[in-house]
Amino acid sequence: MGKITATINGTEAHVDEGTTILEAARTVGIEIPTLCHSPDLIPTGNCRVCVVEVEGTRTLVGSCHTPIANGMVIHTRSPRVLTARKATVELLMAGHTGECVTDEHTSECDLRKLADELEGGAPRFLMRKPRWYPIEAFNPYVRRDMSQCVLCRKCISACREIAKKNVYGIAYRGFAAKVIVDFDDPLTTEICRDCGICIDYCPTGALSKPTKKSEVK
Amino acid sequence: MNTIQTQDSLTGRERENLLRKLKQAQHDFGYVSKDMMTETAQSLGLSIGEVYGITTFYSFLSVRPLGKFVIRICKSIPCYMQNAEMIIACVADEIGIKPGETTGDGKFSFELTNCIGACDIAPAMLINHQVYGQLTPGKIAEILRGCE
Repeated sequence: MGKITATINGTEAHVDEGTTILEAARTVGIEIPTLCHSPDLIPTGNCRVCVVEVEGTRTLVGSCHTPIANGMVIHTRSPRVLTARKATVELLMAGHTGECVTDEHTSECDLRKLADELEGGAPRFLMRKPRWYPIEAFNPYVRRDMSQCVLCRKCISACREIAKKNVYGIAYRGFAAKVIVDFDDPLTTEICRDCGICIDYCPTGALSKPTKKSEVK
Repeated sequence: MNTIQTQDSLTGRERENLLRKLKQAQHDFGYVSKDMMTETAQSLGLSIGEVYGITTFYSFLSVRPLGKFVIRICKSIPCYMQNAEMIIACVADEIGIKPGETTGDGKFSFELTNCIGACDIAPAMLINHQVYGQLTPGKIAEILRGCE
């Protein structure tokens, strides 16, 4: 396997061919924020939080899914990158109707954490009609609150690639897009049993472990 | 062996046949039924969710039976800027149903669609495959009266 030399924020990185920009940056101690990325899953580049500037390319590129190439000059914190990243997170937050400001899931919401880190400030984008779905709490293994979902698709990948079940899909279009099961059916125990792997990958409170009856005060 | 089977065995179980199968079902039956989606999912080795997802993504594939006249109003930006919202409300008023519904007598189905390439005559709509542009409330009443 060939070696690649590229410059990230002025530092030279020497990595194997096939390494993504994100992984290469980490080898030289440069952290790029991510949301839909996980080292265990095939990169999909959905959330656009990890975008970076590569000199000579017209658009910003997703660092989690772009293989690094010889001679690339990459900037992970240029004004263009920071503006785009901040706007992306603000837009994700605008579509995120979770109660992570006040409710108990706050500590579990990676998106909220990301927004705090980037200091988005007062919301610029407001949804006229927030996406709202009833909470599905009858499956003993997974509680779904799709109003909190930001469509990062991590649950779909985790279910397909790790649990090998392929229970989830994405249906509809645009604002109506939603993570669904079969024909947008409830997640019954017939379809989904006890693995709960998707919960660990959900960056918001959309998927969570149901509170057991015995734990309710 | 008939032609369809030959063609199917030639193209095999590949995923890229999904859309072709769904379009065929839409063409043959007027909609893509749950049975059809289940069967397609099984034959291509995909999950039902994935097949349902693709079917609901496209404006010209329907998961429920449609009426005799399918009215599709464009909801993309150029039409929106030419007051498509008013046109949508106007059609809803005329036929008494909201987008996504079919009249009780099965005459009209009302759908919203993404761009239909008629931006030059926005706001535009399709009734079955006929394009109508530069719509006004008066024009709509007249067009709908002509649907027999």
